[in-house]
Amino acid sequence: MPSLILTAVVRIFFVIMLLGSLWVLLRGHNEPGGGFIGGLVGAAGFSVLALALGVEAARRALVLHPVVLMGAGLGIAFLSGVPGIVTDASFLTHQWGELAGLKLGTTIAFDVGVYMVVVGGVLSFMFRLYAEDAA
Amino acid sequence: MDLSTILLVALAGSIAAPFVVARAGALGGPLAAALPAALFAWFFGQIGPVGAGPIVDVVPWVPSLGIDLTFRLDGFSLLFALLITGIGTLVVLYAASYMSAKPPFARAQFLFYILMFMTAMLATVTADNLVALFVFWEMTSLLSFLLVGFQSEDAKARKAALQSLLVTAGGGLALLAGIILIGVEAGTFSLAAITANPAPVLDSPLFPAIVACVLIGAFTKSAQFPFHFWLPNAMKAPTPASAYLHSATMVKLGVYLLARLDPVFAGAPWVGATLVFFGGLTMLIAAVQALRAIELKAVLAYSTVASLGTLVMLIGLDGPVSSVAVVGFILAHALYKATLFFCAGIVIHATHETRLRALGGLAGLLPLTAAATVLASFSMAGLPPFIGFISKEYLFEASLEASLNTVAVAVGVIVNAVMVAIAGVLALRPFFGRARKPFTVEHGERLGMTSGPLLLAVVGVTFGLVPSLVAYSLVEPAAIAIYGAHIEVSFSLWHGFTPMLALSALVVLLGSLLAWFWDPIHLFMRRRRALDEVFLDRGYDLVLGRTLALGRWSTKVLQNGDLRVYAAVVSATVTGLLAYGLLSSGGLALPALGGEPLRPSLLVVCALIAAGCLVAAAVPSLVSAIVAVGLSGYGLALVFLLNGGPDLALTQFSVETLFVVIVMAVLLKMPIVARSSRTPGERWLDGGLSAAFAACILLATLWIAAKPFNPELTEYFAITSVPEGFGRNVVNVILVDFRALDTFGEIAVVAFAALGAWALLRTGGPRRRAGENATKGA
Repeated sequence: MPSLILTAVVRIFFVIMLLGSLWVLLRGHNEPGGGFIGGLVGAAGFSVLALALGVEAARRALVLHPVVLMGAGLGIAFLSGVPGIVTDASFLTHQWGELAGLKLGTTIAFDVGVYMVVVGGVLSFMFRLYAEDAA
Repeated sequence: MDLSTILLVALAGSIAAPFVVARAGALGGPLAAALPAALFAWFFGQIGPVGAGPIVDVVPWVPSLGIDLTFRLDGFSLLFALLITGIGTLVVLYAASYMSAKPPFARAQFLFYILMFMTAMLATVTADNLVALFVFWEMTSLLSFLLVGFQSEDAKARKAALQSLLVTAGGGLALLAGIILIGVEAGTFSLAAITANPAPVLDSPLFPAIVACVLIGAFTKSAQFPFHFWLPNAMKAPTPASAYLHSATMVKLGVYLLARLDPVFAGAPWVGATLVFFGGLTMLIAAVQALRAIELKAVLAYSTVASLGTLVMLIGLDGPVSSVAVVGFILAHALYKATLFFCAGIVIHATHETRLRALGGLAGLLPLTAAATVLASFSMAGLPPFIGFISKEYLFEASLEASLNTVAVAVGVIVNAVMVAIAGVLALRPFFGRARKPFTVEHGERLGMTSGPLLLAVVGVTFGLVPSLVAYSLVEPAAIAIYGAHIEVSFSLWHGFTPMLALSALVVLLGSLLAWFWDPIHLFMRRRRALDEVFLDRGYDLVLGRTLALGRWSTKVLQNGDLRVYAAVVSATVTGLLAYGLLSSGGLALPALGGEPLRPSLLVVCALIAAGCLVAAAVPSLVSAIVAVGLSGYGLALVFLLNGGPDLALTQFSVETLFVVIVMAVLLKMPIVARSSRTPGERWLDGGLSAAFAACILLATLWIAAKPFNPELTEYFAITSVPEGFGRNVVNVILVDFRALDTFGEIAVVAFAALGAWALLRTGGPRRRAGENATKGA
């Protein structure tokens, strides 16, 4: 049975872990971090939620079905390589540009794709493991 | 327009066609046929330019591996391209009528496969790079699989489809090996370059292996002995596909490749002799089987196998005439055999009767089909004034001129006599013979189906009567392209009283006798059951059966469902390989110690890891063991952190956390039972294996550490990370930029593995369905 303390603090934990995972994802290009690590932390956040409040609560928090998330991530990572074909004739050669003083590249889209695949991949079977019934 | 553009147009058109066909109703067929017709017109327009010299179009594809999409259109390719698009147009029109009773989706699907096949086939015969050729070659195998198994509700069709795929795609793998060897020896994958300078391949010690691999690939595709069995079985495909893939075009790919590589193989006489042997053997077997076959399409299939054998034999013969004979025979055969398949399809479609001997008296109901069949049969029998006659004259001339003439002529006479007999029986029995039992005829002539064969048959006569139409525009450039030097082609109907004419007359005489006594011969041959053992696919069944049995056995032994057996097998294998590697590398190398100061913090962490391991091995509770394993993992992450790998450490921390969370979730589902049911003996075995595994890993790690470290890559990435990847975190820049394709592959693997686990963990699915059934029953 889930403990009272866990149930009480889990929402705060969840928010912190999710924000942390996004922070790890976004800082990844210059500091330790990146899509893979961020995805693992994010997945852990949702797992904690599922552990304490049940799978349904975690599913609602995720909004998208994990398998859909995974597929979308794969799609985004693929699409991030397409501009390279157009400009450079080489798939996944990343393109860079500046937006309001911030250097942005298609790498960030690629990393977001990695993040989504990892979160979706882990949660797709995690939710099934935690579920009491078929999900 | 470029060749590559034309191929892109073909591809785009093939993809768009099914959507048009599904909506356009009766107009769908003609609309879809516009694509191959337009392509035919374009290729037709290239006859002039190609006569002057081959058209080459280079598109870089994988420049780092030397793979270009070089397309090259010479005379031989052009002949194939015209046959592919020309017959393709007629096939599409014919198929639209043949399948008019099917639902729109099935029609659209069928035409999609046919047009995709056409595109792949065009790309195969115009590809100059052997690797690209292989890719397109396998695409045709795949589409052939889809078409043979088109009537997927039929178990026999599924079996035949799988068989054709296993044989042709399997042979394709042998071909790939051959191509790679050729590329290694010649230093290029370009067909034109290899045939222009065959010496590096010819003089290579690997030449016999190259020949063996290429021959297996060509023989499987072109249904040569011992792989001849798949083609008659592939007749389960709808007739338009049989006419297109399994007689006029795809099965000639093996012949195409052999003809292309002939300038190389001609340097070694034993290759030619091998081709003559296998081609001749295939011809004889196919002739016997054609006499024994019951079904209309099976007779045609065996005659196609015999024709392919003839082509292989002709390529094996030396001399310039054989090149002309190959080209002439490919053209003649495509014209008459496609016609015969079309006509057989009309007969089967109208009567639902597939057995040759059950048919008769159809000439009144299908007069145009009868006319087309008769014309095509005359061409197949090699009677003047048909193009088949000219090609057969060349066949005999090539046989007589070659150094292996006795074998070639003897086999040629026997098999061609059988072809004459088959042609006679095919033309006469269904249309002019008397049916033994009455059968229903559902419909008479249909314009959509009849016009194609009629046109092809008339073309066959026209080319025979006026050979100059094709002699200099098509046959000569094609023959020159495969012979590699200039040839004077005298492709004409009348050569005077030559030995070839005498042989032709002999063949016709023998064939007529065979046709006259067809019934007794057919029945006599049918009763020789022993031939089935040798000539059918028993060998294939045996190999496939043994392979499956091996699979079942290994699954039972290695993957019996006991996780401990899996773990034991994996660790024993890794231990064995590591031990072998360590022993064969010659003695142990130990890293020089003492170079680094001993850090106390590292010692503490190591003690933590060791403690975790010991606790995990000792505690009886599974939950405690998991936590202990997690402790070791965290310790390892600390080691990474202390040695300057924050990314690795972060990942390790996250993975360890998730590992504990996941395993806990699994454990929560497990029934609480005693932890171990291992006997003391098994425990000793487990312990021994673990110790050996650990020892090997330790020695291997030490060995790796002892090797001098090459810092080249590290320095390269450290220097280029910021200027080229715009990131200071080298690990991340490598992951998302330098090695982004690897990462993409990895996340795809993660996604598919997760998808697999997700599907396997579907709990209650069958149970719920069982429950529903139960309530229904109640």
